[in-house]
Amino acid sequence: MGEVRRLQEAGVLVFSWLCGVLLLGAVIAVIGYLFVHGWRSISLSLIFGATPPLDALLMKRHVFNGLFPAVVGTLSLIVLSVCWAIPIGMASGIYLAEYAGAGTKAFLNLFFDILAGLPSIVVGLFGFSAAIFLNRLFPGSIHPCLLISSIALAFLVLPYIIRTTQMALEGLPLSARLTALSLGASKLQNITHVLLPQSLSGIVSGVILAIGRCAEDTAVIMLTGVVASAGVPRSLFSHYEALPFYIYYISSQYTDREELATGYGAAIILLCICMVLFLTAFVIKRQVSYHALYRA
Amino acid sequence: MKTRVTAVFALVALSLFFCSGAFAAALDAFKGEKGEIRIAGGTAHIPVMKEAAARIMGLNPDIQISIAGGGSGVGVKQVGEGLVDIGNTGRTPTEDEVKQYSLQMFKWAIDGVAIVVNPANKIRSLSQDQAAAIFAGKITNWKEVGGDDKQINLYTRDEASGTREVFWEKALKKGDIAATANVIVSNGAMKGAVSQDPYGIGYVSVGHIDETVAPVAFNGIEPSMENVKEGKYPVARGLFSNTKGEPAGLVKKFIDYLFTEEGQQIVVEKGFISVQ
Amino acid sequence: MRRTKEHAVEIFFVFSAYFSALLTVVIFGFMLALGLPLLAEGRIFSIMTQPWAPHLGQFGIQPMIVGTLAISLLSMLFAFPLSLGCAILISVVSRGTVSWLLRKMVEMMTGIPTVIYGFVGIFLLVPLVREFFAAGSGMCVLSAALMLTLLVSPTMILFFCESFARVPDSYGKAVLAVGGTEIQKFFHVTLPNSWPGVVIGFTLALGRALGDTLIALMIAGNAVQTPNSLLDSARTLTSHIALVFAADYESLEFKAIFACGIFLYLFTTILVMAVRLLGVGRERWAR
Repeated sequence: MGEVRRLQEAGVLVFSWLCGVLLLGAVIAVIGYLFVHGWRSISLSLIFGATPPLDALLMKRHVFNGLFPAVVGTLSLIVLSVCWAIPIGMASGIYLAEYAGAGTKAFLNLFFDILAGLPSIVVGLFGFSAAIFLNRLFPGSIHPCLLISSIALAFLVLPYIIRTTQMALEGLPLSARLTALSLGASKLQNITHVLLPQSLSGIVSGVILAIGRCAEDTAVIMLTGVVASAGVPRSLFSHYEALPFYIYYISSQYTDREELATGYGAAIILLCICMVLFLTAFVIKRQVSYHALYRA
Repeated sequence: MKTRVTAVFALVALSLFFCSGAFAAALDAFKGEKGEIRIAGGTAHIPVMKEAAARIMGLNPDIQISIAGGGSGVGVKQVGEGLVDIGNTGRTPTEDEVKQYSLQMFKWAIDGVAIVVNPANKIRSLSQDQAAAIFAGKITNWKEVGGDDKQINLYTRDEASGTREVFWEKALKKGDIAATANVIVSNGAMKGAVSQDPYGIGYVSVGHIDETVAPVAFNGIEPSMENVKEGKYPVARGLFSNTKGEPAGLVKKFIDYLFTEEGQQIVVEKGFISVQ
Repeated sequence: MRRTKEHAVEIFFVFSAYFSALLTVVIFGFMLALGLPLLAEGRIFSIMTQPWAPHLGQFGIQPMIVGTLAISLLSMLFAFPLSLGCAILISVVSRGTVSWLLRKMVEMMTGIPTVIYGFVGIFLLVPLVREFFAAGSGMCVLSAALMLTLLVSPTMILFFCESFARVPDSYGKAVLAVGGTEIQKFFHVTLPNSWPGVVIGFTLALGRALGDTLIALMIAGNAVQTPNSLLDSARTLTSHIALVFAADYESLEFKAIFACGIFLYLFTTILVMAVRLLGVGRERWAR
């Protein structure tokens, strides 16, 4: 009996270590492969091609054979999407945490859970069809572009911001809530002057993870206006390039070794951006794991 | 001797001068212009579009030209719906399409569609029957057409592809394409896929063929540019840029540029046949 | 004056919350309105059972439904035991720094962009699968499922670890008191008491696997056939949308991709409902 039990225990031990080694081995293989094949391509000319960096940054000249337009495209997407998502998302989170009753909260949260669970391609399809719809209504004014993509991405990350705001506010101790109120502050003053500042780290880490999602998502943008070659976007209504789409595009359409190398370079840059964002969120708020679960 | 060298130098310098003069003239049209041109559709066109865009945008940073793929079907729909300014097709737009969207067609190059295999594959020639049987999934092993004893991996294009349409009509005589075939979204990606797969077979714009893939003679005719040009190679087609109604402004200048000497030189450099 | 200003801000809070909730409904409404003509003509059955052959007038998405299920379920088949093993390793078997380090690495994995898995899949995994099995192009159900496994495992592992940690320590004390080992404690106390969490973790990961686009699009081959073997090329609903979205807006092809959208929407909504029905759902996902 004891013998059997010992064997079982050894079995569990071996199995769990095997799983651990397998998973980490696979991930290290993926990342290692990328770096081994791609580190040589990391240089200033990977970003700027043959254009002098200063000219590119001042938009005096277009960059060809460089990732600059894709990097600018991704940054614009992030900034715009987060700009749309933060006010609405935080306001909704505040409403859930501070105003809504239990029933309303459960009811609204159902919708946010569904929204959070939607595949990004479905959100992209929505953005695309909405653009077509608007184009029919107002011919020539709206077409898939940076604006449409950033709005669609904002929808995608909205649940993150709602959830983190709500969680951060609800996590505050009762004492923090009551002090200002007892001193005569209104409910709103209490929220803006006391509760929000205290829960800022939680909210900010949620925003950072939302940024990560905007940086890496490919499915939404490939339906809503990203293109293979566009240069730096000139307006909200421009087509644009983006890093994740560039990686997808180059993976199948590279014409020579050099072009493929830029694909590896782009993949390393994107990976590093996402890792840095992740670490920042982690440093700001230790408990990142639940955010991590919260992505579908 | 010395005078001869000097004369050669002078000649070279002179011709360079005239060439650059001619080139500058073609691009002059874009000086002082501002704005955006959105291009989508045919994927065979992309290398030419990219090069033309690079030259125009290089001269004038106030112009932005965006280039997307998607295939010929996408090109027609998007230009028709007014989502892009120029919709490229690797086939002649159908009468219905032209009528529905009042398309203006501009054929600026001639191209062929060739069967390609991986360079490691020995097969360099297939008859029409063999090709049709392979793509229909009736021949599934390379040994049946004289190759190694390996399963054939089929690659085809998506339904929006003009390349697929031309190939299906002229090479397969509208025969079936097996559902088992991997579906690839562009000419560039097709070349990439076949160059990666030692047992793969696909079809690609002749202009896109390079040393990473091996062209296969069709009914004994090499899919070379010469054969396409002389009309010997049967699977040929034009490359079109289409606009909704008469092009105007910057879009017109872009299309005009494709037909200048410089534009046509890009066409030839990228492996296609000039229309002039 | 201050009251009205405060009131306006509070109205904005309410408006935002309902706007966000309404968005969820509007997205579904769009899918339905655009896909409905196809479904309403009594074609819903043919859509679900027919193959995709636009030139024959068939716009069925049955191969894509099968492809989606095959790829995502296969990846769950790999990922579930793997994740359970890793979760046991992190919460039971290893201690201290090792456990902490493993956990951090798994957390880091959740930040790896999907497109990177697809990219490495094309150049590393696909050739390996092709050469190893010597059948097909390597772009197949198996390749996509393997890469998806890497994508969904971290979600499950972290969730499993959290639900193990939630089981009150006092429960296990008895086992240890009578001379049981940590592993015995895990199997007799922790696992039986955390199974709802395990099921929820599985469900969330399945949702992620169903909804992913890039991995299948890049390495599953995208053939419009119902896959018969793991080495067959296949197309998922998500890839199908990405491949067909720009067709003629009046055509049945275009409408059929909204049918795909509706299916995906319903699949993931059912999974979310399942998570909530498992009761404890709310607090569990939240913390």
